[in-house]
Amino acid sequence: MMMTLDDLARQTGAWLGGSGPLSEVVISSRARLARNVASFNFATRMTPEDKTDLERHARAAIEAEGVAAPGLYVDLFGASPVDRKLLVERHLISREHEEATGQRGVAIGADERVSIMVNEEDHLRIQALLAGLAVGEAWRRVDEVDTALERRLDFAFDPAYGYLTACPTNIGTGLRVSVMLHLPALAITRQIEKVFQAVARLNLAVRGFYGEGTEATGHFYQVSNQSSLGKTEEEIVRNIEAVMPQIVEHELGAREALLSKERLRLEDRTWRAYGMLRHARTVSSDETLALLSAVRMGVQLGVLTGVPLKTVNELMVFTQPAHLQKKEGRDLSPAERDAARGAYLRARLAELESN
Amino acid sequence: MDCENCGKAPAKVHMTEIVNANEKIVRHLCQECAEKLGYAVKQHHSISELLAGLTQGLLSSRHEDVPDVKCPSCGLTFAQFQTTGRFGCAQDYEAFGELIRPRIERFHDATQHVGKVPGGNGSGLARAGRLRALRAQLSDAVEHEAYERAAGIRDEIRSIEEPGRD
Repeated sequence: MMMTLDDLARQTGAWLGGSGPLSEVVISSRARLARNVASFNFATRMTPEDKTDLERHARAAIEAEGVAAPGLYVDLFGASPVDRKLLVERHLISREHEEATGQRGVAIGADERVSIMVNEEDHLRIQALLAGLAVGEAWRRVDEVDTALERRLDFAFDPAYGYLTACPTNIGTGLRVSVMLHLPALAITRQIEKVFQAVARLNLAVRGFYGEGTEATGHFYQVSNQSSLGKTEEEIVRNIEAVMPQIVEHELGAREALLSKERLRLEDRTWRAYGMLRHARTVSSDETLALLSAVRMGVQLGVLTGVPLKTVNELMVFTQPAHLQKKEGRDLSPAERDAARGAYLRARLAELESN
Repeated sequence: MDCENCGKAPAKVHMTEIVNANEKIVRHLCQECAEKLGYAVKQHHSISELLAGLTQGLLSSRHEDVPDVKCPSCGLTFAQFQTTGRFGCAQDYEAFGELIRPRIERFHDATQHVGKVPGGNGSGLARAGRLRALRAQLSDAVEHEAYERAAGIRDEIRSIEEPGRD
């Protein structure tokens, strides 16, 4: 059965499930492979006809191999700006893919676990996104898709440089793996810089997931591998997976310490955040993320009960601008969005309270 | 809080700069001033944009004379590549050969692919590299007495050495 973009806006991606290994701290894991078809130029030297042609080949291969079944293919060139933004908020396409010009698209598989961007910076960007710490499983899924597509597409490959990509930082395996982490206690207790330093030594990059500067909004961070050449895919996966249990342990230790030393302050912080989300009439998306971050930690520590992690994760995504506008069925000004966000949060949390 | 540089816009970029070993300077700037002063990349930078910035730094060579090399296949010149950090086609890697090799080595700390190859087993250098990596993994597994993993790796080595066996 063919899924539509409207169905997608209403459903929940599997990666938001709030389950999976170490999900108190690790929100999601992602693997992404960059591939280019040997007989075409790279994106910057392609004519509009080349792009249309490549998309036709790629779609045919994707459909014939059934790698993104049951299958939704979104033509991003023809899609509305809100639909494109919705896919970014859903982590199914990159911001670059949203903002690019020309013929391009994305194939989305069941439960949004696999997506394949077509005509991104590379001809194909194969991505798998899963809940919790599951980098190895994410790699296995993109590997499977790649192996299937290889039966129908001849990918540019060099014996020394491996898979060839438009940007030389992606050659070799073409693999970028990343995890999204929630590290509020390490941030509050100012230990986060130590984590950054340790991670940097392992040749991994860290950045705030939402917001700018050193204060990541809501304390969500993304850790990913830097280089893609000279290591096997398994080594790249193991390198990032190996460091996660330690980071998680530090974060949970810092949370427990906060709870035992400053219980009242922590409870107050959690319930104030909940109160704002439950009753505010107008809320910005940054404020929402900061409040959800406080609630998320409170839920994990048992300070606040009755709000599943899955709901917290969903609210993080469903309160973003394109999701709100899709739900309302029209464009909203920033002020209207803040009001719609408040109303949506009140309704969702009231529904939980009545259960 | 307002931007400490212009005092007009709200401070959105908060930086902790480490000067010398332990001295820290905390700066609060608006997006515009942060960009102007070179503290911030444009908003919503993603990993790949960030990497592109890095690549440009890494791959640009302001003080060298840029040789006028042109890819015979896509027509991209080396100078054009230096501006964008992006290649025009797969043949550029060969066309720009030694011009890009040291920079690739600096970024990846490697020049030989050892991972997956198309068609499973592949051929030539990549296959040799793959075997080298597998053998290293095998001795690591044996050392850690992970015999089940070792057996799996051994099977994989055999299948590469003797394709068509299974």
